[in-house]
Amino acid sequence: MPWQSSKLALLAWALFQVIAYFVLALPSLVIIGASFDSSSVFSFPPHGLTLAWYARALATPAFTASFVLSVELATLATALSLLLGTPAAYALQRYRLPGLQVVQTLLLSPIVIPAIVLGIGLLMFCNLVGLGQGLAGLLLGHFVITLPYVIRTLISSFSLFDVVLEEAAQSLRATRFVVWFRVIIPSIVPGLLSAGIFAFVTSFGNVALSIFLVSSDAATLPVQMFLSVEHSSDPTLAAVASVVIFITGAVVLTVDRLAGLQRLV
Amino acid sequence: MKGFTTRFAWSRDLYLLGLLTPAVAAVTLILSVPIVWLVRISLYPQNLPYGLSGWSAAHYIKALTDSLYFGSLARTTLYSVIVTVGTAIVSFPLGYAAARGRLRRWKMFFIVLPLALSLVVNIFGWIMILGQNGLLNSVLMGVHLLDQPKQFLFGVGTVLLVLGHTYVPFQILSIMSVVTQIDPMLEEASASLRGNRWTTFRRVIIPLARPGIAAGSTIVFILTVSSFIIPELIGGASVQMYAVLVFQQMMTVLNWPFGAALSLILLAVALGFARLFQAAARANEELNSAVAK
Repeated sequence: MPWQSSKLALLAWALFQVIAYFVLALPSLVIIGASFDSSSVFSFPPHGLTLAWYARALATPAFTASFVLSVELATLATALSLLLGTPAAYALQRYRLPGLQVVQTLLLSPIVIPAIVLGIGLLMFCNLVGLGQGLAGLLLGHFVITLPYVIRTLISSFSLFDVVLEEAAQSLRATRFVVWFRVIIPSIVPGLLSAGIFAFVTSFGNVALSIFLVSSDAATLPVQMFLSVEHSSDPTLAAVASVVIFITGAVVLTVDRLAGLQRLV
Repeated sequence: MKGFTTRFAWSRDLYLLGLLTPAVAAVTLILSVPIVWLVRISLYPQNLPYGLSGWSAAHYIKALTDSLYFGSLARTTLYSVIVTVGTAIVSFPLGYAAARGRLRRWKMFFIVLPLALSLVVNIFGWIMILGQNGLLNSVLMGVHLLDQPKQFLFGVGTVLLVLGHTYVPFQILSIMSVVTQIDPMLEEASASLRGNRWTTFRRVIIPLARPGIAAGSTIVFILTVSSFIIPELIGGASVQMYAVLVFQQMMTVLNWPFGAALSLILLAVALGFARLFQAAARANEELNSAVAK
């Protein structure tokens, strides 16, 4: 092949990759740029630096209240997912029994169910049982969509953790309860942290499910942003979005440090 | 001794049951009860969210015969196929290079960040790029390619671009994870048998990576076919993707039985195509093992 080792081809290939990664990051870069720009309509090149939009975002109750709600919701959903997902992932990784494959497919199935279908179903269900719209329905929905990530990450954690340690503890007559709290959990702390953190951002950023389940007076942050994007293009929103980008970026870097990002895949 | 093993098996089974039951029970209830209830609602004859009684298939008949809804379903499926194939083509070289090349850690960061980021943030960024006062217009007018701002939003092409951009990380990661598992020795073996790069790529890498492409494509297809936030904000009224119609029926028109029927049709299409992608991956595995024999 003529292009096999041509320098031009290698250069074109490197350029393609640089452009691809640049385009992946472009929307975030533009938002961050606009959030510090002193001009009130988006313009390029920027006019001057300011933190005024951040101050205004902090002074807007709709954003601060929805931020608090999103953090509460993501914390609860993550806790619930870890609590129920950790034992399940352990069982799925450690035992080879007929039927477990079906269980695994069931627990991972929320990934392939469209969020709009799940959202509408949960909305109808909450109406049926009188829960109405609000935190309870949101929590049920966010729990099922974060659980697959927790289970996948933890199955890979357990597969790296030697079963011999548990057997040693058991042969020393440790009860199963003691084995869990003194051997298993301490050994998978990095996996638990990265699973938990990723569950948190998945819940924190969700809009497709939340939009059906929020009550009219208390939206989550992404739903609030969805409503604001529809009505205005104020740089305050860029400041709010930048905060979300900074938090998510810090979280992704933390997961990378703790366990390596490839474990999430 | 026999008694001991039985007792041991019993205790193991109970333990296993204790580990799995909470998660399985919770997921089964949270998924199945709402979906069963959705099926029931879709079979009420009324066009309202309340005062429901009786049975009727009228909403399904309307959804599948009215050209507004059926046409939208066909178009949405076509758009989703385009986005799925497009992202697979772009992702293959990127995923391959991320698995084999250098700077893997940084590449992972740039692939995972948009995935972890809220969808709304990504859309908002694209609005700032493509809007009337956006980055693209400023740049194009700056270099005098445009005299006045052009509206890049509110078109099908833009919606597909943003959908592809938003979901492409799933494809890259999925391809990357299968390529990581392909032994580089296989590629060297092919090269030593005088396979040129193109032959190696076509006969060795693509067949081995097919399960990853299928997995990535399944996720991208499902996300695209059911997307309503992106078409609503980027496409506006001009791009009536199916899930946007579902959203309108549920939240604005408040015709819950009809909206429920539409959403279940959408679910069937999404899961049907997911099956298709998996079957394609498996058919190829069988072919591979047949060739190996």
